[in-house]
Amino acid sequence: MGKVIVVTSGKGGVGKTTSTANLGTALALLGKTVAVVDADVGLRNLDIVMGLESRIVYTSMDVIEKQCELSKALVRDRRVDGLMLLAASQKNNKDDIQPEQMKAICDKLRTTHDFVLVDSPAGIERGFSNASAGADEAIVVTTPDVSAIRDADRIIGLLQNARIEPINLVLNRFSPQLVGNGSMMDQADVLDILNIELIGVVPEDSGVITSTNRGIPLVYEDGSPGAQAYMRIARRLTGQRIPIHNFEQKGILNNILNWFTRKR
Amino acid sequence: MNISIKQLFGRKPKSSSIAKQRLKLVITQDRFDVDDRVMTRLHHELAEVLAKYFEFSANSVKMDLKQEGNSYILVADFPYTKFHDTNMRQ
Repeated sequence: MGKVIVVTSGKGGVGKTTSTANLGTALALLGKTVAVVDADVGLRNLDIVMGLESRIVYTSMDVIEKQCELSKALVRDRRVDGLMLLAASQKNNKDDIQPEQMKAICDKLRTTHDFVLVDSPAGIERGFSNASAGADEAIVVTTPDVSAIRDADRIIGLLQNARIEPINLVLNRFSPQLVGNGSMMDQADVLDILNIELIGVVPEDSGVITSTNRGIPLVYEDGSPGAQAYMRIARRLTGQRIPIHNFEQKGILNNILNWFTRKR
Repeated sequence: MNISIKQLFGRKPKSSSIAKQRLKLVITQDRFDVDDRVMTRLHHELAEVLAKYFEFSANSVKMDLKQEGNSYILVADFPYTKFHDTNMRQ
């Protein structure tokens, strides 16, 4: 039986879909069978971020309305073994799906996949309850800024009420340089506020933009810091113990540099 | 709280520590803020249970949330006029 993990954040634009695409691909690269599910009905994007937009025929809505079998609605990613996408309907809205229907889909997918990653829409309304309905665990994505962290805290409260655990934090778009000169909260600050387990820090990486432009998840290119960060998180999800990477710049030279570039 | 030597010499605090302080305050408030409807429901449910053991008038009941340090306390005053001795009934 596979695990169902909801990828969520509260606030939009912090990297939920990018994280789902990269973690799903990374897990498949590690040899796991993975289904990634877009739960953002009406505003689907996981397909285009993963480069599979031209191959979508059926969506989760068709499965719910019994227009097609679940296995037929899954789009196989041909670049790696064991990776499937279930797209969201673009012409429906979030209220057209019930939480129990999403849960039924997740429960079916977990019988054939090691991991089911559900990409949640932003917000705390129906879309979020649908996305988290079938989840055992959660990944909360946040960036180190006040609005994303405040919304993450709200989502964590809702996940805890729904008895979804563990809830793991991905700290995205982390800039060692900004942390160094005091303009960005570091991981200790964020953890002190949110008080959940950190599963990984993803540094700001312009490669994310180009990889999204091309529809090729970053993890296919080993070299980039973002890809390495997502690979480490995927390994942790499979149970490997890997220490959290420390991106903060240390050393006297950096301290001197930071002193000159410091901002308030 | 980090008070660095720079701050002692009159420099402005770093914006990251301002962010953290502001967040801590607002998140504590967010977590503490109980929906009025939930409070009313809790009030009714508590009264229902307590009515099995005590006699009290509904309008004398007071419920409040108080902050003490980092934790919040739910204070409920149910001044009662009589105790139903349940042992006697059995």
